[in-house]
Amino acid sequence: MDNEDSTKTMLVVLRHAPHGSSWLREGLDVALVGAAFGQTVDLLFLGDGVQALVKGQQQGPLGQKGTHPTLDMLAMYDIDTLLVDAESLAQRGMTEADLQLPVTLVTASQLPHLFSRHASVFNF
Amino acid sequence: MRYALLVQGAPYSHQAAHSALRFASALIDRGHRLETVFFYHDGVYNAQRLATPPQDEPHLVEAWQRLHHEQGTALLVCVAAALKRGVIDERESRRHGKQGHSLAASFELTGVGQLIEAAMTHDRLVTFSP
Amino acid sequence: MQLHLLNRSVASSHVYRDALRAMGDDDYLLLIEDGVYGAVAPLVEHFSSIAGRLFALREDLESRGLEERCAESVIVVDTEGFVQLTEETERTVSWF
Repeated sequence: MDNEDSTKTMLVVLRHAPHGSSWLREGLDVALVGAAFGQTVDLLFLGDGVQALVKGQQQGPLGQKGTHPTLDMLAMYDIDTLLVDAESLAQRGMTEADLQLPVTLVTASQLPHLFSRHASVFNF
Repeated sequence: MRYALLVQGAPYSHQAAHSALRFASALIDRGHRLETVFFYHDGVYNAQRLATPPQDEPHLVEAWQRLHHEQGTALLVCVAAALKRGVIDERESRRHGKQGHSLAASFELTGVGQLIEAAMTHDRLVTFSP
Repeated sequence: MQLHLLNRSVASSHVYRDALRAMGDDDYLLLIEDGVYGAVAPLVEHFSSIAGRLFALREDLESRGLEERCAESVIVVDTEGFVQLTEETERTVSWF
């Protein structure tokens, strides 16, 4: 990160679970477009947002699109920093072993710095 | 300073559009410029051409249009979020073989890239969500 | 230094907890819309960790009939004051 142009760093915070609303999908879209526009994008999964990473997701009834296929595309867009709030994960009875991608756990004390060090923050 | 707003709440369902419009007029009163409003998620319904509120309620679509006419504010609507919600301009309507269009005048369909751009090029981006 | 906006009542949504956890030591929190329900005792106690940095939007307090009941520890600002807070801080983060 230190070598990156700091004016082009973007944090996308994902706080909503898949399927129940479109916040997660539309938040991920902003992340992908940001990366396509040359931003260095970090994702932070916070609160119910950690559910986005759970293994074994499928599309919903009537073909409702899930978000799990989008997660597989992140690497293609050079989005490889997936930050997960450790407390949110623990609260939901989950560990890293339950997640479909490798992640970096962040502690409560690291959260404020995450928000302040990125040039732009999108909170979904 | 140059401001951009991100509006994500549908009009008449949530307070987001009211809050954003109130904030818009206050920032202009303080000598700032409102250059861009980006509509995303259910916020795209703010661009509905056929919105017909009763006379004793504020006409939010017209309030956005006034900002465009009086301040030159760009009213940008995310095309992906809009099309699937039935907010469609003449060009897209033709392209998809639809009858009629629903995007109000002064609003334009655009990509999410414009939101990223707004975050980079404006001094402030303030989000109003449902 | 950042300005955080919260539009949910602490009585019905836990999102305020994440907002508080994300706040830096000199960040501000402004309660708007249904967020202003948290500006009244006893709910305002949820914000005791950010005393002196908690604001509430006057127009939203007034429209909800809460202006008289707003806790003294809360700094009440009108929308002009809201704009001023966005001038003083580098960025705004919205929690909903």
